[in-house]
Amino acid sequence: MNLLLAVVVGTLYGAGIFMVLRRSIVKLILGLGLLGHATNLLIFSTSEVVRDAPPLIKTGETSLEGVFASPLPQALVLTAIVIGLASTAFAIVLMKRAYAIMGTDDVDVMVTTEGS
Amino acid sequence: MEFQAPAINIAIILPVVIVAGFGLVLMILDMLMEDELRGLGPWISLGGLVLAGLQTIALWLGGSYETFIPVGGHPMVVVDGYAHFFNMLFIITGILAILMSMPYLIKADIDEKAEYYMLLMFSISGMMLMGMANDLLLIFIGLELLSIPLYVMCGIARPREASEESAMKYFLLGAFASGFLVFGLALLYGATGSTALPVVVENFTAGGVIAYTGLAMQLVGLAFKVGAVPFHMWTPDVYEGAPTAVTAFMSVGAKVGGFAAMIRILAEAVPQESAPIWTTAIAIIAAATLILGNVVAISQTNIKRMLAYSSIAHGGYILMAVAALPFSGDAVSASLTYMLTYMFTNLGAFAVIMMVEKSGNRGVLLEDYKGLSKRNLGMALILAYFMFSLIGMPLTGGFIGKFVVFQAAIDANLIWLTIIGVVTAAVSAYYYLRVVFYMFMFDGQGDLEFSPAMMTATTVALVATLAIGFFPGLWLNLARTASLASQLLMAGG
Amino acid sequence: MANHHTSSNRLWILGLIPLAFAAYFFLQLEGVASGQFLQFSIPWVPDLNVNFSIYIDGLSLLMSLLVLGIGGLILIYASGYMAGNAKIGRFFFILIFFMIAMLGVVVSDNIFLLFIFWELTSISSFLLIGFSHESEKSQKSAQQALIVTGLGGLALMAGLIMLGYIGGSWELSELLAQGQFLDGHPAFPAVITLIFLGAFTKSAQFPFHFWLPNAMAAPTPVSAYLHSATMVKAGVYLLARLYPIFGGSDTWFFTLVIIGGITGMLGGWLAWQQKDLKRIMAYTTISALGILVFLLGVGQKIGTEAAVLFLFVHSLYKGALFMIAGSVDHETGTRDVTILGGLRGKMPLTMVAVTLATLSMAGVPPLVGFVGKEVIYEATVENVDYRVWLTAVAFVMNFFNVAAAAAILYMPFIRSQPADTQLELDHTHEAPWTMWIGPLSLGILATLSFFFVGSELFSGQLIQGATEAVYGKPAEIKLYALPPALTIVPILSIFTIVGGIIFFAVQGRLIKAARAADAAVSRFGPESGYFAGFDGLLAGAASITLFVQNGKLRRYVLYVVVSFILFVGLPLFLNFGALSWRLSPPPLLYELIVSAVIILATLMVTFARSRLAAVAALGVVGYGIAILFLYFNAPDLAMTQFSVETFTVILFVLVLYRLPAFKAITSPAGRLRDVIIAVLAGGFMAMLVLLVTAVPQSQHVIDYYAQSSYPLAKGQNVVNVILVDFRGFDTLVEISVLGVAAVGVYALIRRGVIRGLSRGERGES
Repeated sequence: MNLLLAVVVGTLYGAGIFMVLRRSIVKLILGLGLLGHATNLLIFSTSEVVRDAPPLIKTGETSLEGVFASPLPQALVLTAIVIGLASTAFAIVLMKRAYAIMGTDDVDVMVTTEGS
Repeated sequence: MEFQAPAINIAIILPVVIVAGFGLVLMILDMLMEDELRGLGPWISLGGLVLAGLQTIALWLGGSYETFIPVGGHPMVVVDGYAHFFNMLFIITGILAILMSMPYLIKADIDEKAEYYMLLMFSISGMMLMGMANDLLLIFIGLELLSIPLYVMCGIARPREASEESAMKYFLLGAFASGFLVFGLALLYGATGSTALPVVVENFTAGGVIAYTGLAMQLVGLAFKVGAVPFHMWTPDVYEGAPTAVTAFMSVGAKVGGFAAMIRILAEAVPQESAPIWTTAIAIIAAATLILGNVVAISQTNIKRMLAYSSIAHGGYILMAVAALPFSGDAVSASLTYMLTYMFTNLGAFAVIMMVEKSGNRGVLLEDYKGLSKRNLGMALILAYFMFSLIGMPLTGGFIGKFVVFQAAIDANLIWLTIIGVVTAAVSAYYYLRVVFYMFMFDGQGDLEFSPAMMTATTVALVATLAIGFFPGLWLNLARTASLASQLLMAGG
Repeated sequence: MANHHTSSNRLWILGLIPLAFAAYFFLQLEGVASGQFLQFSIPWVPDLNVNFSIYIDGLSLLMSLLVLGIGGLILIYASGYMAGNAKIGRFFFILIFFMIAMLGVVVSDNIFLLFIFWELTSISSFLLIGFSHESEKSQKSAQQALIVTGLGGLALMAGLIMLGYIGGSWELSELLAQGQFLDGHPAFPAVITLIFLGAFTKSAQFPFHFWLPNAMAAPTPVSAYLHSATMVKAGVYLLARLYPIFGGSDTWFFTLVIIGGITGMLGGWLAWQQKDLKRIMAYTTISALGILVFLLGVGQKIGTEAAVLFLFVHSLYKGALFMIAGSVDHETGTRDVTILGGLRGKMPLTMVAVTLATLSMAGVPPLVGFVGKEVIYEATVENVDYRVWLTAVAFVMNFFNVAAAAAILYMPFIRSQPADTQLELDHTHEAPWTMWIGPLSLGILATLSFFFVGSELFSGQLIQGATEAVYGKPAEIKLYALPPALTIVPILSIFTIVGGIIFFAVQGRLIKAARAADAAVSRFGPESGYFAGFDGLLAGAASITLFVQNGKLRRYVLYVVVSFILFVGLPLFLNFGALSWRLSPPPLLYELIVSAVIILATLMVTFARSRLAAVAALGVVGYGIAILFLYFNAPDLAMTQFSVETFTVILFVLVLYRLPAFKAITSPAGRLRDVIIAVLAGGFMAMLVLLVTAVPQSQHVIDYYAQSSYPLAKGQNVVNVILVDFRGFDTLVEISVLGVAAVGVYALIRRGVIRGLSRGERGES
């Protein structure tokens, strides 16, 4: 199973990095989205995946017993997803504004502060 | 039925709560208030920072060394001398930045005042978390809280290409940095089973290669924030394109914040036996940073860009102390001292630069400093003093910073790095002195506009730089006490 | 201007203050010479053992007397020379500032204090050289002087700090008391090299001598004071100061004798070819500094004695001569010796002064310069091993000085003005009293010193006190005005004077050839080296900048990814064999299908032609991951992921609606490069996932949460409990982040992006 996850994560990272190296700013942001997904999955896969045992304490019990999915990575991923949302939303608006002001979506053309 | 009362001591995190709380107040005011009242933004922020500063001082004097443990588990926040010291640094940075922003925003025709100060306050609260955080996840979130407002502030000027571009570059490369930080977090968690620094250090060795890779990624993420080579590329473009008040703020705040977390992680989350590996890496990065920052600064003609490279180079000097962490008992206090002097000197230099700057992003070239001494000898002398301090000439704060850092590096037997540090400091003399040449030796139209707030900021920075330069004992003691009142002393002594 | 004139004329009063101090120091002479040194120390940075400490022994006292005495005369002189200059106040301020700094250099005991004053003298010199910043020449000269001496100063500090570390003290007096403690220490070569660099740059030794003639762009009082009598002697002073530590070693002897000798001869050789009175003096100053370094190199009692005496002699005559050059310039408007002449009758008092000064320079009795020259020859003759060589070098140096002295006296003053010049000198008259009193006093002092040279006060206290301080041991000094016996020494003296005068007589015929030779050589000289190095540094910096910082975001990202692969990936691959792998049970069919969908959608995002398709595919990726979360027991994650993904897709569609379609704008080669990098990075991350899952999990923390969630927080959903209770603080901050981002989005939108500018209008730039 971890092999499959590795392939998925690897594909997401590879594609994401390829996208952030494009000149179109839209592709760049799509690439960031892919990288975000990849990261979430990476965090998730840091602990062993368990099927059919959610980290919910059954009614009447006071603790998780036996085999259960590790709750901590899930909490971490939740944080990452939320922060990722903030970033993505911000990125989209920033990009839109940059496009509106600079009149291009080609990041190679956005070099007004180029070294002197 | 047993119920364990949560061991929460809110008082110790009060400074950061105050800062964020005032940010929140500004947010509400912004939505509710009329335009006239929005002018209160900077004053409210100043009030908040002063309050937070007083609380920090009270805690510090109280000798408080406490941890904030929400419920059981491991402390997420450690409020020790180290954290107090950084809190004060960030609060002072914030106060000076606000003083500088008040006239600057008018000059630069930025009308989003309430928002601006709100963002500033949130960013400061993020920085403060960086100094206190004792958990990788909190460091990550703190970094986001520090950074996102800065992204917005970079692009807050009226639509202008350079500003827009700088915001975008900063954001995208910043997103990369966050990405690395999260990878690192994930791997360290995977390797050690926790994100709490005290647990990470226990299981670090068992984590083997993965732990090292995670640590490396965390360092890469923070290296972005502190502008260390080869992750510095955003710095010049962003510094040049952003409104100068924001540049000043982030050239100190973001960098010092990054270092606060970096030192905490390296000193607390990494066992002593792994020191040879990571110190070598840090020393190499420090050398590259020193060389690149100082050499490339020479060819700059825009003063903001020049100071960008200069700030990269100063990061290199702090990295020297970081590389000495496990081998020199004075390395922590050396880095604290360096950051203290860097803060005052750099902010002071930026304050004068903002007075020279004209609206419409003019007046930022070295050319614009020609003949400044003729029209305004006093300010030219003050800027010259800041430049001397950035070089590290004696009788300036900068000298003390460089001295203690070099001393720590020698203690740690990093002789080659010390030599690089000295040589690059000599190279840096050229580009800093060039500003002085332009002011004193050439004829030109160099001139500046005064404003009370800017003068206040300049004076504070000047007095502090002078005070550190002339009476370093007090400040060195402060840094030493701060570093001793923490669990950071990893070296044998 | 009248106001300036009157007020500036009274500025001479300021000159009395240093003179009064000089008198006070003079009164201390007897005590200091008998070993009662003046000391004063207050703690400054106790943590670093740095004190504000002052220590005055014989050497410091002699230097202080020169600094204050000549300084007072210079101030008086400057009040006349600069009269009418609008910036005279500022000029005086910097000059006095310099005087204090220079005094600080020679009395500091603490290494840091010494360095501070040392650099302050460089800075005030910089300000004074560039005082007339109108001319580009003075700007360049000022910059050059500051860079050369400033960098030398940094080297010096590094050397002194190393010295202090090894010697265990920051106080010079304590270090000196330890004698030659550095001999045989592995750091000896480094320390001595750094200190030599500092001293040689400051005292204009070959190959750093070129800054000094250029520094003559400064107003003449500055040249007289800083660039001849005092500041340039700081390097010599430092070498003399450290003689007890380094003196006697071979490194010391050979370096100083060779460098000093070259400097002394080169300065002399260049001096006689100059036309500008000030440049003649500048090169003879270089020559004199070379002699001083040479003598310190020769060392021993007699060498240090000769150095001390010549230091005193040179300061008197060269200070006077520079002031005279300034007076000539002031009264005639030129310093070109080829067109000047006949000033002896027009400027009688100056004529007296110049006669005394040049005679002292040439080493003719009854002036103290004669004694100075005698002792120099004594020092070289006494050396057992290298007697002939040393004497020959000293002879060449002295010989050129005689020729230069003859030129200074003869050409502007004694001879009649050449007939073929345009220069009108009929109305030239004596300079104001402020301008002749200084040179005349120094000339008279040089004469008096000759007559009292054997006195207890002069040789027994002044010279002996200083010599003992340098030599580090008691030394009985007895000087004679005229040689008590006819040895080789006075014969050498006579030969020097006669030879120099003959050379002066024939030099007109050599000058053309000499200048041509110099021009040919100077292309490879140190000054060309300075400029080449300087330009090279600038050009190098510029090209590095273009390479690493071209402003293109993509390039930056590329650097980051590549550095990441190199720094983090490569070490992993290198340790490939040591890694542990562990595969968990194979996936179920539906997991396989979902994963395949995610991968396909990812590829679609990458290669889609339409923006909308790409956005939709990104959405599919997100939903796919959400489904995976659902399968693997993370219902909360799945729900969050679903909603976040929906929101993101909607935002994308709304905002991206009007953006242009994708174009294939990257070159195929660029794409190939990116694909390779992407595959490498992706493969590396995949490997990391495999590695991470192979690490045995520490269950400690997880067990804590599993056990405590319900008892402590009454929550059954452990993930939720972690978020809102155990890690509530994180979550609080996280919410702040979200809020701030929302405000940021709002701030960006509010400023008309969506409304005003969305049709692609360009903002003002």
